[in-house]
Amino acid sequence: MSNILALAQKELRAYFVSPMAYALFGFFALLFGWFFVASMNVMLQFSMGQFGQGGPQVVNINEFMIRPLFGNTAVILLMMLPFLTARAYAEEKRSGTIELLLTSPLSDFQIIMGKFLGAMTLYGIMLAITLIHIGILFWYGDPEWGPIVSGYLGLLLMGSSFISVGLAISSMTKNQMVAGLSTFAVLLLFWIINWVGDASGSTTQTVLSYLSILEHFDDFSKGVIDTTHVTYYVSFIAFGLFLTAKSLDTARWNG
Amino acid sequence: MVEVQHVTKRYGSLTAVDDISFRVERGEILGFLGPNGAGKTTTMRILTGFLPATEGQARIAGFDVFEQPMEAKRRTGYLPETPPLYPEMTVAEYLRFVARINGMPPGDRRTQVGVAMERTKISDMADRYCGKLSKGYRQRVGLAQAILHNPDVLILDEPTAGLDPRQIIETRRLIAELAGDHTVILSTHILPEVSQTCQRVVIINRGRVVAIDTPDNLTARLQGSQTLYLQIDAQGAEALATLEGVDGVASVTCVDEHDGIGGYEIESRQGDDVRRELSRTVVTSGWGLLELRPRQMSLEDIFLQLTTEEAPTEAVHPGMVTPGDEADVTVEDRVDE
Repeated sequence: MSNILALAQKELRAYFVSPMAYALFGFFALLFGWFFVASMNVMLQFSMGQFGQGGPQVVNINEFMIRPLFGNTAVILLMMLPFLTARAYAEEKRSGTIELLLTSPLSDFQIIMGKFLGAMTLYGIMLAITLIHIGILFWYGDPEWGPIVSGYLGLLLMGSSFISVGLAISSMTKNQMVAGLSTFAVLLLFWIINWVGDASGSTTQTVLSYLSILEHFDDFSKGVIDTTHVTYYVSFIAFGLFLTAKSLDTARWNG
Repeated sequence: MVEVQHVTKRYGSLTAVDDISFRVERGEILGFLGPNGAGKTTTMRILTGFLPATEGQARIAGFDVFEQPMEAKRRTGYLPETPPLYPEMTVAEYLRFVARINGMPPGDRRTQVGVAMERTKISDMADRYCGKLSKGYRQRVGLAQAILHNPDVLILDEPTAGLDPRQIIETRRLIAELAGDHTVILSTHILPEVSQTCQRVVIINRGRVVAIDTPDNLTARLQGSQTLYLQIDAQGAEALATLEGVDGVASVTCVDEHDGIGGYEIESRQGDDVRRELSRTVVTSGWGLLELRPRQMSLEDIFLQLTTEEAPTEAVHPGMVTPGDEADVTVEDRVDE
């Protein structure tokens, strides 16, 4: 455990010493803030639109604002998280520091978990920034906290899936650009995978829908924690980490 | 302390290391000598557990590097060809990190880091970022990292590569110092380095061990026929003929002629020391003797000699792809001759 923590700390340091962490946080906050304002405007318009029926109505803030906001956040994450994970292994392989890790008394499991924990911590901080916005909603409005908690749980699970895929892909190349781009392409594919489903029969449709990574998020943002979705994300994460383990091992045999 | 038995490493059809065996005793410094691409790095990577061997066994302090990797790795300090530094860490932070992943208890870390920095003379660089260090300092931080956890076995891949002459001397001295309590395996492609630092030398070429011996014995073996370099203030056919006439001289080649000065390479017959005869002849012929010295054996000469000596029947087929030496121009050249 101490080794995992040591590695996680090392990862975090690398993020914070380089402009990486600040760029991620800054742009994430900017984009999230933008979507926040946009969703608020939509909600206000909708509320004003009720004028005909006797003045502005109180609309459900969870349904009309927080849910679309979480949906948009999922898309921002899909685009930003590949950049967070791209360097994790690729940079170590390029600079040769992977040799230090693999010849130290560390198990592959410790290395993989250390990197995962490091990236997850950074992602956690990223999500924590958005609590400010949600706090504002609580200050001025009266949202239900249930769907918000489940929404954050969903974001956490979905982000972890993105991270585990990103780490797996990063472990397969020496090139950060290739790692980032491939991760983005793979995640995008998992997002739109069910878009071709409609015309190709109901069984295919069901399977593809099940695979779609954003599909599983929807229920979380509605306030429903369904074990199907939790299972999906957890298996996704486990699969990504397993792939990383295999890829490290393969790299070792092939030099 | 280190035992390598019939280790072979293949990458697909490529054999990088071919049936290597050797032993290193406690406290000994073993030099690994070979051209680039001979399989030095691969062998070292197998010993450190970075690469698994295709066949054969390697043991560090009695622990098989493949079966009991944790035990073996705990007892090994390794400096790869490029020092594995994290540019975003300061030297002290980096060494503390290495101490930590080597399982050193928190109380010991600070003192051990201090000791390692002292020994490698980098204490004044403790707060510098690794990414901002010069090549020489990077190499020393790499070395500090390797000795940090007081390993039984130190494996150093070209520890003096890229250093300036003064740093090379310091590094060699440090390695010699370390040998007392550690067993050291170092690789190099510089011949004088092994004779100065190592007690025993493994010469490796194309993934095979060509010779294992002490530097002195190797030099003695190689002195069977000696090449001398002679420079006199005479040239032309007459000088050449006179030199060839000296007793014990096998052949004379003119390698340099300018401004009335001639440089000759003189091959003597086995066992004959022709230096006395040569100088006498030069003087009696009325020439000035400008230079007379044994020609330095280059690494290529040694390989040429050892490979032909060890395996006289093994013909080298031109055009045949020989694994393990793609990067080595000199060996390629020889194949073409």
